[in-house]
Order: sequence, then structure tokens, then C-alpha cells
Amino acid sequence: MLIELSQVSKIYNQGRANEVRALTGIDLTVEQGSMVCLKGPSGSGKSTLLAIIGCIFPPTSGKAAIAERQLARLPDRFLTLHRRETIGFIFQRFNILPELTVLENITLPLLPLGVAPKERRQRAHELLERFGISHRALFPAGQISGGELQRVAIARALINNQPIILADEPTAHLDTTLSREFMAIMLQLKAAGKTIVIASHDPLVFEHPAIDRTVTIQDGRIHVP
Amino acid sequence: MARHNLEKQLNILEYALSSLWRHRLKSLSVLLVFGAVIFLLASFQMVTQALSDKAKQVLVHTPEITLQKMSAGRQEAIPLAYGDKLAGIFGIRRVVPRIWGYYFDEVRLANYTVMGLEVAEMPEGARLDTTLAKGTMPRPGDDAQGWAVIGYSITNALDLAGRDTFSLFRPDLSLKPFVVRGEFSRDTDILTNDLIVMNLADARDLFAIPAGLVTDLCVYVANPTEIETIAKKISETLPGVRVLTRPQIQKTYQVVFGWRSGFGSICLLSALAAFVILAWDKASGLSPEERREIAILKILGWETSDILAVRFWESVIVSGLACLVGMTAAYIHVVYYAASLFRPVLMGWSVLRPNLHLLPRLAAGDILLILAFTVLPYLAATVIPAWRSATVPADSALGG
Amino acid sequence: MFLNPWSLALTLCSLVVLVLGTVAAKTAVRVLRFWEPGSDSNQQIRLENEIWLSSTLVAYGLGFQIITLILFVLAADEFCQVIVGAMCATGALLANPYGMPALLVKLFGVFFYGFWILLHQLDIRSEHYPLVRIKYLALLLLLPLLVLDVTLQTLYIAGIKPDIITSCCAVVFGESTGGSTNLIVGYSQQGLLLAFAGSIVGLVIVGWGLLRRWQAWLAGLYAAGWLWFFVLSLVVITTVVSSYVYAMPYHKCPFCILKPEYYYFGFALYGTLVPATFFGISAPIAGLVRGRAGLGGVVARYQRLAVQLSLILLVIFSGLSFYHYLKYLISGGEG
Repeated sequence: MLIELSQVSKIYNQGRANEVRALTGIDLTVEQGSMVCLKGPSGSGKSTLLAIIGCIFPPTSGKAAIAERQLARLPDRFLTLHRRETIGFIFQRFNILPELTVLENITLPLLPLGVAPKERRQRAHELLERFGISHRALFPAGQISGGELQRVAIARALINNQPIILADEPTAHLDTTLSREFMAIMLQLKAAGKTIVIASHDPLVFEHPAIDRTVTIQDGRIHVP
Repeated sequence: MARHNLEKQLNILEYALSSLWRHRLKSLSVLLVFGAVIFLLASFQMVTQALSDKAKQVLVHTPEITLQKMSAGRQEAIPLAYGDKLAGIFGIRRVVPRIWGYYFDEVRLANYTVMGLEVAEMPEGARLDTTLAKGTMPRPGDDAQGWAVIGYSITNALDLAGRDTFSLFRPDLSLKPFVVRGEFSRDTDILTNDLIVMNLADARDLFAIPAGLVTDLCVYVANPTEIETIAKKISETLPGVRVLTRPQIQKTYQVVFGWRSGFGSICLLSALAAFVILAWDKASGLSPEERREIAILKILGWETSDILAVRFWESVIVSGLACLVGMTAAYIHVVYYAASLFRPVLMGWSVLRPNLHLLPRLAAGDILLILAFTVLPYLAATVIPAWRSATVPADSALGG
Repeated sequence: MFLNPWSLALTLCSLVVLVLGTVAAKTAVRVLRFWEPGSDSNQQIRLENEIWLSSTLVAYGLGFQIITLILFVLAADEFCQVIVGAMCATGALLANPYGMPALLVKLFGVFFYGFWILLHQLDIRSEHYPLVRIKYLALLLLLPLLVLDVTLQTLYIAGIKPDIITSCCAVVFGESTGGSTNLIVGYSQQGLLLAFAGSIVGLVIVGWGLLRRWQAWLAGLYAAGWLWFFVLSLVVITTVVSSYVYAMPYHKCPFCILKPEYYYFGFALYGTLVPATFFGISAPIAGLVRGRAGLGGVVARYQRLAVQLSLILLVIFSGLSFYHYLKYLISGGEG
């Protein structure tokens, strides 16, 4: 199991007046090479769950093992070190830095890893070629089209060859064509052995045939119909 | 491991450079203000240093020991006969009487320094010629009267461009004429700018000092390492006499210059303080774009310490460039513009402003001093804002 | 004598360091009071962030401390021009009883910061942050050290009266002629050099032994050896090395070698000796926390690295210290 959560809860601002119980008793396992969709309305705890799977913060209680590593109460630094080796992120609106070039954006995760410029360029070019946007490498990311931006975001999630891809509402601001294209690329990645978790409430995503399983989150719990 | 760390720091440095470039307007404004502060401090430091160097260099020409008679705590004329009493002290090369005083020119409202001595009697009198831009000092055996060797400002003040004679008033308001036989070189301006050197007898005549008296006695010593010993012996032989040694005078100059420079630095520190506050302000205000950028970096695997390193490199680059710009400008200001901004403050002791050519020497220590005044406070002012920005939580890049 | 750019720079730097130190100490108090390793509370998250603040502040503190240390010596060298009778930094530092203590406290400070940063680097290598308490207790000690540093320095600067006569590294001026007033007197040069060379050989042997097989008693010996060697080196630099650098048998001053006239030779000398000593002493000391959770491997790796570094620096340092001496022996003082 690449992702293994048992009885995971997350409470924000614990012990304070503004305490929020975001997740309660989540059990979830995801096998390697499968594609899972987390479905639910906004505010359901979907993003919190994604953040725990993505090693952004640890759960308040329960066990979470990502790529065979227990996350419970790891200091932030170790979560970061683990995250950059295992998780590739694709954000809502892609979170690309518009003033940097496409190449610079894609190689951002490699800088703190101490990868030399030459190797960085080489790895980025391989990915850019694969997604057919090599000609955009030196363009500022703010000046390319939405479809290209999407592929840049995916390339960035793959640059360190991470086994898990997490996508947070990737299609929320895309038209149907681009959304389809996105899912097509995800399908390719799944075929290449990546484990993919997508948080989305877009039927184009959770009804897509490539999705192995859809998990519905409601009020911080897994909803069993 | 070490290679990996080095590569990582280089990558972070690269990112810091690109980040500075992306915010070039902000970086440039900080750079300019910081550069200006460094420019002020560095010019000040260089001017005082060049001045004190110059004084030191010129003081080499002064006698090793100067004797003055004190009475009721004030200086008065010293009898020439005192010089004879020193005959027994071993190590004294020569005693040269001197009249040193100030002449106030009521027409031009300026003070001139007058020095009357037998140049030929000075052990290295002939070498004084090297300090002259034109003319010569009298040779031994040459007992010409009524001559004067003058500094640059005197030439101007007395309007001596086309002629070489001038007159000064005796205390009884009768005129005493002089012929200019030499002019001091501009290199010694700090001491000679307002100086008139003349024969001892002429000086006595000008100031109406009775025969047998002078203002001070200059003692030349054979071995410079014995100055202190001889000075002590002299003060034992002549109890009522003030004994000034050259090293002491040098130290006094040093204190004066150090004090002036310190005083100036305090004034400039307020400028620095203002800048540091500005730097803090600039660094601590985090725009939503910056927050978003840091959150993205962190979610992509940048550690808090990596962001701190980016901020550190940014500060180092900005302050390094500002130092380079500020110090270069200061050097140009001091050398080519003779520190025109500070001269009134630094050389205000004379009505005639010496027109100096200054050449500061910059040792590593002086650069370190300027760094300590400027870069360190800047780094300190940016460290806490840098930490604030580095601790933006990664999850703020998630969600809508 | 505060109205002097050097005094002002020193005072300014000290104040800056003091402010940074106070912020760090505040963090230390909070961490010691509220640290809860297992908790997910906002407080704990904030404290984890504050660890980065304090470590950055200490790293800056180390940099600033090294700069003020150099500045202090250079300032003393500058002061000697205004103190009648002092010819170089030694004389200026001996002008009042606070000069030398201030210098030593500053030097100690450099080591202190160094050890703290080592502690921090070891700590953050383990997921459990096992050294948090020790680390922050040590950080609390920093504040008194800084206060002591600033106090001594201020007393020293305040005590510099431009007109008093002081002794200096070469001769005493004015009142008492004759009588040696070198900083350190009464050692035979040959004996010292022999002890110096012997200690170098000894350290290399012990270090080499440690690299082959790590033994606690040998490590202890290594640390003690470095402590001894550090003090001995300072004596040897003052009494032997420096006068060969100056090519003047009676000029024995550990500070003038820092000046441009001698090509900043002193910086190379001290710049190898201080880090070498730090690595030499810290390697065995790091062994004390070897048993903490998750630190075994990290400490062992550091120890090997530190011993290697200390040996490399030792070789460079020995080369530098014997350079002028050998040059003198070979050229007969003609070069």
C-alpha cells in the first residue's frame, strides 16, 4: 500500500475557542498504480485530507503512512524532506509563478535538492518534449496558453520522479476540452505506474473511466452510500 | 555531501538573484538609499583617514622635541639662553630657536601663521627645498634679510600673482616689507597653506619680540628612539619648560581626527538608523503575491531554512552591491572632488580653507569598519522579517 | 574614548548582537516552557517555526562575533596610535585591565556559537529533535555571555584615555626603561618549538588512530590534546612565529601579523587554528550525545568528518607557522 490511513482525524486550533474538527476517523488505502478521486463539496474536509496525504501537515490523531513512512507528529522539516521525494502536486489554478520562465517553474522542486543546472535543464526538457511544449521553455509562464500552463503544472509534479501525484481541483477553472486532456494525461501517468489522487467535484473527473475508486467526503467523514 | 550542499547553495543563490531581478524596482530603491548611506559614511571615514595620514606625513618635518616656556599656565617667550643649558645632554644634535605666531590681517580678515627661524641652522634645512613648488630656502652662509616663503593661500590672499613683494604691519602699525623667494608645494597644504616662513630676525622685528627671546626652541635628536629619554632629561634640566615630543603631537592629532570622525559618524548613524527602519519596513511587509510564492515553494519541497537562505542571499547581494557602489562613489568624491561635501565640517579651524588634494588608502580593516557600520545593521534588520516570510505555512497554497 | 569610529562600530555591533541574542533567548524560554513533541497544537507549530528563528539568529551571531573579534583587534591597533607609549595592539589591549579579558570572552564566544550550531545541526537530523532541551538551555547561557562581552568591551573603551603611558610588546616608554614587558615571557624558544612540533605529531597520531578505530578514551585524549595545542599555539605564535614574521627578534606581538604590512598573514594563521581547534574538540564532544534517539549514525559521520577536517587544517596551520622560521633558517635571514 502506498497510502495507508487509519482512524485519521484532524483538528485545527485544538483546545481553543475557534477549534475546527476537519476530519474524523478516516480509513483509506490506495494501492500503487491506482487512481482515486476524493469527491465532496467545498468545506467537506477534502483539502485537509489531501494535505495529510501530501505530507503538508500531520494528522492530529490516527496513523498515516505514505510511501511506507509514518507521518504521525513528524516535525515539519521531515515532512518536507519526505514530501519532495514522494509527492508531486498539481494545484487548483496550477500555482505557476507567472514571472518565471516555464523552465524555471518546472525545475523549482529541484533547486533545494542540489541538482546542478545542467541536469535540471535536461530533466525539464525531457518532460517538456513529452508534453509537446519544448518551444515554450524560455517563455515567461504568465504568457502561455491555458492548455500549455496545465501541462507545465503536470511536468512540475513529475520532475523529481515522485511516485504519487496529488491534484487539488485541477479542472475547476478549465473548459471541457482541457479537462478531458487533463484526464487523458492522468491516464497515461497511471499506465506508467504512478499513483494518483485527485480531489474534485467535477463529474468529468469522477465519472472518468480511468478512476478506480471514488471516495466521497462529507462533514469530515467518508460517506458510505 | 559537501558537493551536494554547495550545489544547493548555488541553486538558492541563483533563485535569490532572479528574485531580486523580478522585484527590481524595490531592490534598486533599497540599493540606492543604502548606497547613499554607505557613501556618506565611507567618504567621512576616508576623509578623516586621509587627513590624519597627511598630518602624519607632514609632521615628519617637524622637530623631534619642541620647548616652550610656561608661565601661569600660558605660553610665553623663552630666552635663547635656555638652549645653552641643554649643551650637557648627550644625544641632542642641535637646538634651533624659532618664533611661531599668528598674524591677523585686518584688511582681509584672515589669520596667517608666521614662522621665523634660521633655515640654514636646521639639520635638514636643505631638504626643505623639496617642499617648495618654486624658489629655494636660504643656504648656510646666506644671511639675506626681508625674504619670505609662503603657502598657497597666502599667494591668493595677498594677490601676489604678478609681483613678489608684500608688506605686513608691525604692532606699532609701521609697515615691514618682504620679498617672496619661494612658495610651498600644494602637497603640504595641510600645514603650509596659510604659512609664511621668514628669517628669525625678521619675525622678531615683525612681532616686536625683544632680543634674546623666541617663542620656542626646537631640539633635534640624533637617534629618534631616544626622543623620550632626552625629553625627560630636558624637563629635568629646565623644570619650568613644556617639552613637546613629536610622537605626542602625532597622537594628539590622531585623537583630534579620531574625535572628529567619531562625531561625524554619530551624525551619520542617524541616517543609517533611518535606513535600517526603512529596510525593516520593506522586508517585513509581505504582499499576497510573496506569500503565495513562498507557500508554493514550500509545498514543492523547499524547507524553511531554504527560504531563509534565499532571503539571506538577497540581503547579502543588495548590501554587497550597495557597498561597492557607495565605496567607489566615496573614493571618487574624496579623491577627485576633494570631499567637497564634508570639508566645512572637517577643516573648519581655519578661516582660510586649505584646498587639499586627498588620497585615502583603504586597508582591509577600513573596509571592515565600514561594513560593520552598514552591512551588519542591515542584515540584522532583515533577519526577523526574513524568518516571518519563511514560516508562511505550505498549506496556504492549497484550496481555492 | 567613545568618539572614535572604531569604538562606535564595536559598540554598534555589540548592541545589534545583544538585540539578536535577546530575541533568541526569548525563543529559548518559550521553547523550554511549552515544547510538546507529540502535540499538534498551534503553539507547537509556532515553536517549531521559532527553532528556525533562533538557529538563524545564532548563525548570524557567529558571523557578527567573528567580525567584532577582528574589529576589536584592529581597533586596539588603531587605539595604540593615540595611547602614548603603546606601539601596537598589545600595548593598547594592556592599557587597562579590561582589554585582554574582553578579547578572550570574544574568542570564547566564537567557540560557543560554533558549538551551539553544531548541536542544532545534529538535533535537526533526527526526527525526534532529541537535543531541543539541551540546545535551548545552552542558548539561555548565551545572554549572560553577551552581556559580559558588551560590559567588558564598554569598560575597555571607556578606560582608554589617550594620555596615559602604557607598556607595549617591544619596550616600555617614559617612566621605566628596561625590563621586558612582552605579553608572554620566560620561555625558551627551542623548548617551545620542540613542544609545539611534538604536539603536532602527537595530534596527528591520535587523530589517525581515531580514524582507524573510534575509541572513547582516545577521543577524550584528542579533545584534551587540542585544548592544550590551542593554548600552546597562541604562546608559540606570540613568542616565536611572530618575531620571524616581522624579522625582528624583539617584536613579539600576536596581533601585528594581522596587518597588511605582513600580508594579512595572521588571518591565515588564526583562520586555520581556530576552526581546527573547534573541529578537534567538537568531534569527541559530539560523542556525548551519540546515545540520543536517532543520532548514532549522524554523530559518527560528523565525528569522522570533524577529525579529518581538524587534521587537514592542522597540517596547513603547521606549514604556515613553520614557513617563516624555515625560510629564516634556510636564507639566514637574508630573504
